[in-house]
Amino acid sequence: MIRVRNVCLHYQTVQGTVKAVENVSFDIFDGEILGIAGESGCGKSTLMKGIYGNVEAPLALTQGSIEMEIEQAGERQVIPSTQFHRYWWEHISYIPQASMSVLNPVVRIQDQFFDSYLRADVRALGKQQLQGRIAEYLRELELPVEVLHSYPHQLSGGMRQRVIVALATFVHPRFVLADEPTTALDVVVQRGILTMLVNLQRQLQNTFILVSHDMGVHYQITDRMVIMYAGQVVEIAPTAILFERPRHPYTQLLINSLPRLGDDTQRFGIGGRPPSLLAPPAGCRFAARCHLADDQCRQVQPPLVEVEPGHFAACLKHEWVTEIPLVGGGESA
Amino acid sequence: MAVVRFLAVRLMVYVLVVWIGVTIIFFVPRFVPGNPVEVMMGKLLSQGTTMDPVLVESMRKTLTELFGLEGTLWEQYSSFLSRVILTQDFGPSLSYYPTPVSMLVARALPWSLGLLLTALLTSWLLGNLIGLLAGYYNKKNLSKLIETGAMIVYPIPYYILALLLVILFAYIWPIFPFVFQVSGTPGSWPWIQSVAYNSFLPLVSIVAVSLGWWIISMKAMVIDTKEEDFVQYARSRGVSDHKIMLGYVARTAILPQITVLALSIGGVFGGALITEILFGYPGVGSLIYKAILGSDYNLMLGTISISIVAVATATLVLDLIYPFIDPRIRYK
Repeated sequence: MIRVRNVCLHYQTVQGTVKAVENVSFDIFDGEILGIAGESGCGKSTLMKGIYGNVEAPLALTQGSIEMEIEQAGERQVIPSTQFHRYWWEHISYIPQASMSVLNPVVRIQDQFFDSYLRADVRALGKQQLQGRIAEYLRELELPVEVLHSYPHQLSGGMRQRVIVALATFVHPRFVLADEPTTALDVVVQRGILTMLVNLQRQLQNTFILVSHDMGVHYQITDRMVIMYAGQVVEIAPTAILFERPRHPYTQLLINSLPRLGDDTQRFGIGGRPPSLLAPPAGCRFAARCHLADDQCRQVQPPLVEVEPGHFAACLKHEWVTEIPLVGGGESA
Repeated sequence: MAVVRFLAVRLMVYVLVVWIGVTIIFFVPRFVPGNPVEVMMGKLLSQGTTMDPVLVESMRKTLTELFGLEGTLWEQYSSFLSRVILTQDFGPSLSYYPTPVSMLVARALPWSLGLLLTALLTSWLLGNLIGLLAGYYNKKNLSKLIETGAMIVYPIPYYILALLLVILFAYIWPIFPFVFQVSGTPGSWPWIQSVAYNSFLPLVSIVAVSLGWWIISMKAMVIDTKEEDFVQYARSRGVSDHKIMLGYVARTAILPQITVLALSIGGVFGGALITEILFGYPGVGSLIYKAILGSDYNLMLGTISISIVAVATATLVLDLIYPFIDPRIRYK
């Protein structure tokens, strides 16, 4: 498992310190698909960098700790995030957003497999056998083997993303982090990639951490969800429960913004903007956009409390969230 | 078939470029005041002998005829074009009459090529290597020091540096020769030593300045490439550091450098005008200089045409081999 404890990740910029992630704690359990959701700029990707142990200036882990617990050679080992880079690809791998630019443009796909981390015994197989292994793996993922001899620019966006997924899972890492893996793709291709991810997770029995702003994607494939707002965790719950009875008004608004079949009433966005992370407000960060907020909310930072077993919410009014019907949900966007 | 069409179009452009270039250097000198007949006459008359004006006039006429300068510009141009296309003959040099231009060029070209190709390849290889390391490890102090050094040297005009070298190492401390003088039989060991010894200062003056440019440009490109997504992603994939540097960063950052190298190889055929004059180096640059001074139309045409053809050929070759260097590029 991966333990995230009181983590603060700050960017040092000319304008000041951007507190991208503030005091975040949660666990990532073995064998689950954990979803992290929230709008752009809420600190999802920064948190992912932290969890991957890829923290480089101007980003810094100013407080808290991230640890990975793995079983190696029969014993449990706890690894701090500063050491994660030694386990990159072997135990923890990363799927970036689908884009043209993450694969080396002048090297064939097959060589990019060869270049990546490979366990010593796999590397010892030699080029011929390794090539066979890779081809076999691609066939398992229902990818045409010819892509191995292509350059990235010769592949479509969807194919490129499948190749990246294959690349990230080829050595069977325990943890796979996917940061908006389907965002740049059309919905048909999206579905294909998501199915591929879920099948892989079932087959490898490893842990997937999926970051997406798309609640629909989370609903389809995640087991548990972490909702982030303005650098903080506002709600954690198993996905089914979260969608059934959200206990934070922000989560409720996110879910409400999803279209449903047969429901043709107009969808509403969430009015306003998230606060600046350079100087966040004193009380609840969502108060300015919240229909439940009162003076207390604007002054006191709500703690993350367990509202029912396994369901955490950071809202002083969490009892009211499902009871007050949403009329419009703020201004229309 | 796309390849054939690409080749046909590309070759047409090639011929067009060469033709336009040659045409320009045919006409420009003829519009410049001073002509080779007068230069030659001046030389003869300045020797002090008094001559009969009738004789002078008939001599002028003979020279004009010999040099192929009679008739209108168009007549000269068409006879020049047909002669060059049919026989590749640029005629006799006018200031070294009757030595053929081709012979003068053939004598000077190996010198220029030897000096400039050595200088170019040395500075290219060295500059890109230093630039790669300095860019890849750009947080190190040594890297900053190298860049500052390159920044200081590269804006210095190469002839100023050459002059400085001559003053310092040929005049104040006479370690290297002041006048270019090669001894020994060509091809023999003492001859090679003598050539190396004599060429050292000109070589250093060219390498030092162009090295700065290669370092700065390569460093800038490496720093940019290093931040590209595919390099960052390679790092997170556990690709080894030297593989990232060579296979990922250098492999892409070198592409524009290859372009400039190929174009520079074309430029080598024009010689290094001022360096050659300063060091008395017997290359194409010195030849062009003499041709201009003596209004030697034929020699100008011969030397500069070679330059034009060389640059155009280098560009053509580059276009043809580029798809092999960069897989993203295809013939269209």
